[in-house]
Amino acid sequence: MNYAILACTGLDKPEGSVAREVAIRLAETTGAKIICPVALNRTPARYKRALAENRLIVVDGCATKCASKLAAATGTKVAQKVLVSDVVKAAGSALDPGLRLGPGALELARKMADGISENEAFTPKKTRRAGEAPAEMEFEAASDHVVVVHDKYEFRIPATGYYFNANDVWAQVAGTRARVGISDYLQQRLTDITYVDPPEIGATVAQFDELGAIESTKAAFDVISPVSGVVVRVNEAVADAPESINEDPYGSWIAELDLTAWDEDRALLVDGPAYAADVERKAAEE
Amino acid sequence: MRTRDMVLVIPCSGVGKVHGLISRESAYLVTDELAPEDTDVVCLALLVREDEETLAKVRACPCITIDGCAKACAQRNVEIAGGQVAKAFQVAKALGSHRGIQPGTGSDLTEEGWAVSREIAEAVAEDAVRLCQGEEVA
Repeated sequence: MNYAILACTGLDKPEGSVAREVAIRLAETTGAKIICPVALNRTPARYKRALAENRLIVVDGCATKCASKLAAATGTKVAQKVLVSDVVKAAGSALDPGLRLGPGALELARKMADGISENEAFTPKKTRRAGEAPAEMEFEAASDHVVVVHDKYEFRIPATGYYFNANDVWAQVAGTRARVGISDYLQQRLTDITYVDPPEIGATVAQFDELGAIESTKAAFDVISPVSGVVVRVNEAVADAPESINEDPYGSWIAELDLTAWDEDRALLVDGPAYAADVERKAAEE
Repeated sequence: MRTRDMVLVIPCSGVGKVHGLISRESAYLVTDELAPEDTDVVCLALLVREDEETLAKVRACPCITIDGCAKACAQRNVEIAGGQVAKAFQVAKALGSHRGIQPGTGSDLTEEGWAVSREIAEAVAEDAVRLCQGEEVA
């Protein structure tokens, strides 16, 4: 069983700062997914799957209990609730009035996070033992790149293993599956990527159908699928940290598909060196 | 001449993300250090839960929002609550002018992250002081 953590924003009280710290520690030590209370209120659909598939831990700072109220508003069953002000009271101590946490408050947050995880018997983040095959082994990271230089810009393109459509979207194929993401050229054009809207798992797409969307500080972009198939996985890590596409565009895949027409799809895609020539031309035309 | 009692500084929630952490630390720099007499911080979760006291404050005072990203949760929720956003800042845009820096993580800022946070805070504080003196900010 996996967990999601909904903590209050806690911007104006030290109890809120502790609640937020508890959530971050739980996420770091257990892999639990953090639910942003404000985003949950504004776009609950964004967390629909996370709330349906995970047990929810709610951490409130003060008696206003914003996080609990937001959880109730979504109709989500709460596995465990913790109220920081009650914990502080029970400990017979008081928090310093500042909003930045001191050593005592940080220690309290650590103890609370440990207590919650013990109560819930979290499964720690899986670590790979020496000699154990990595789960991502079939999709090997790009090791050799073609570099297109235009003015002050450098665009990197994997020399092998990746196929591109004219919309600057790549597919990396392993067996009967493909991962899809956007190219270095496109991420540099979009600049800072701030939001990734992945496709629904189970969705069937044809080549050149939309496969989710991306927003940056500069533009919105529909991801045009380079392949036909059924979406079997989406990359939650990229949805949680969209900026990872800027940092590693060829490692930050958006969706994984079971391929249904790879031989036909391949005919309409280009390999790395051919795409490099396309990028050179596009950059020159800008 | 002072014409306003207070400007509200409202950072986004952004729990666990570096953009959100920069937003929050910028707000605290303003309210704790740079313009403590002119500013106060408002909790965004209280605002979206329509806490009456928070709603009243937001409707009565000019607000400066500091959002982590283009979703602009702070700015949009102040507007939805009927507040006046005098100026909206965005961490993602500020980071865009410092391409290549490593600002840190959702729980810790690097020196570079702190520098961006202070840069935003100084701009916010300057605008807050001007608003308190009855000036417009662009």
